[in-house]
Amino acid sequence: MSTTGSSLQDDREQRTLVAARAQRAKERSLATRDLVLSISTPILLLLLWEVTARVEIIDPRFFPPPTQIVTAAYEMILDGELWEHTAPTLMRLFVGGGLGALAGIVVGLLMGSSRALNAALGPLFSALYPLPKIAIFPILLMIFGPTEVPKVIAVFITTFFIMQINTVSGVWAIDRKLLEAGAAYGARGFDRFRFVVLPGAMPFVFSGLKTATGTAVVVVTAVEFTGATTTGLGYLIWNSWQLFIPEKLYVGLVVIGIIGATVTTLLSRSEKLLLPWRRER
Amino acid sequence: MSIAGAQSAVVAEDVSKVFFSGRDPVWALENFSLTLEPGSFTCIVGPSGCGKSTFLRILGGLEERTVGTVTIPDEGQRIPAAFVFQEHGVFPWMTVLDNIAFGLRMSGVGRAERTRIARDWIERVRLGDFADAYPHQLSGGMRQRVAIARAFATGSPLLLMDEPLGALDAQTRMLMQEELTALWEAERKTVLMVTHDIDEALILSDRVIVMSGRPGTLREDITVPFARPRSFDIERTPEFTELRSRIWHLLREDALTAEENA
Repeated sequence: MSTTGSSLQDDREQRTLVAARAQRAKERSLATRDLVLSISTPILLLLLWEVTARVEIIDPRFFPPPTQIVTAAYEMILDGELWEHTAPTLMRLFVGGGLGALAGIVVGLLMGSSRALNAALGPLFSALYPLPKIAIFPILLMIFGPTEVPKVIAVFITTFFIMQINTVSGVWAIDRKLLEAGAAYGARGFDRFRFVVLPGAMPFVFSGLKTATGTAVVVVTAVEFTGATTTGLGYLIWNSWQLFIPEKLYVGLVVIGIIGATVTTLLSRSEKLLLPWRRER
Repeated sequence: MSIAGAQSAVVAEDVSKVFFSGRDPVWALENFSLTLEPGSFTCIVGPSGCGKSTFLRILGGLEERTVGTVTIPDEGQRIPAAFVFQEHGVFPWMTVLDNIAFGLRMSGVGRAERTRIARDWIERVRLGDFADAYPHQLSGGMRQRVAIARAFATGSPLLLMDEPLGALDAQTRMLMQEELTALWEAERKTVLMVTHDIDEALILSDRVIVMSGRPGTLREDITVPFARPRSFDIERTPEFTELRSRIWHLLREDALTAEENA
């Protein structure tokens, strides 16, 4: 009697386990499917582009087949033309953007910590922020002439404002309880800044850096469109259009896209590394 | 340190706090006086908005009083009073160990020494396996144990607790009441705790201050007679029931008014 009872129970347990395994297997196969879809879709679209351009369903003068673009890129790498345009863009982006971000974070932290400073500068910066940076580029050209300086400054101003505004918001977004906890446990002056304000503002600083990267790429491209330079990926794109060499135009587009995506990815990675307390969220 | 600390107590005289809501002055606290004996555990209960938290925050230096005097003998120290907040009071960007050692670090205690003290407290609040965890990886009860350990670890003779268990679920809360009782009975610091839970006040404290509704004034000062060390068994005694209903009668009307004005 008891043996049949326990075997019945074993039976039921077995069936439940089998069902649970089936559920898990189903979930796993769905995850695999998602991965396959996410990789295969862009490849299929590229293939579609290639085929339709070759049989001239779409006009290959406007949409040269991807293989032609790759060939063009390869040739441009070999003869150094691509680097000739990539290097100046990277320089403008990193010097202007790096200094702009640094200045924006420092000023933002100071404004977030000092009521007087924020009262003095806050309204001014808010008024200047929506001004399209590209619109003041001619003024910069007038002052500094056709050198690297106005281009770097245009990127600097762009990132500065984004970082300043994000950092101030970051300081203000710190939970009041945490500021009070800092005060209650004796964190004053620089300690308060180092242990409470700075780490507290970091999440907003990082989201600001990601926004600023996107905008800085737009501004550097636009500045290079203006004819104030004969180098840079923006110039490459613009000039290829004027000379009607669509392959090169696409190469410029792809490279500038890769730069933006790489910087954004690096920022996300370093955020995970530098702010371990925000992992698993 | 601990011997000098044991002589510490708090004297607050005629403390009032008035703030402005638009053009109208609001009296949060009116002529409130309180003296705390060294090594005593006192709870303040009162209807919401009676200024009990305001008083605690004034003692802790987080808010300024409008008039009145407050004397905390160890005021010269960097952390005259260690504060425990209801929730979100531990730094999310610090590990459990760094959070607990934070007060010591701010008062200039060296790394080796503060790590030793913090490790000791981590063990005492049973978080030994979580020293390097970040607060978001902990449960609400564990986070409050960090907050309580941080306060005790400073070595400050005065602990101010603002509804430290208020955000916890009922069962966790009861477990934490037991733990807090045991910790305090071993340490005997001067504790002033604000709570809205009458049972909690009776279980934890030696003295319950009942406050009136806004403006907060002292309504009654009740001595809690239960012997130490305490257990939850006192809840079943007739004295407990009697004290509880006495406090509830004192609070009921003000709680009702507070509710209607909310």
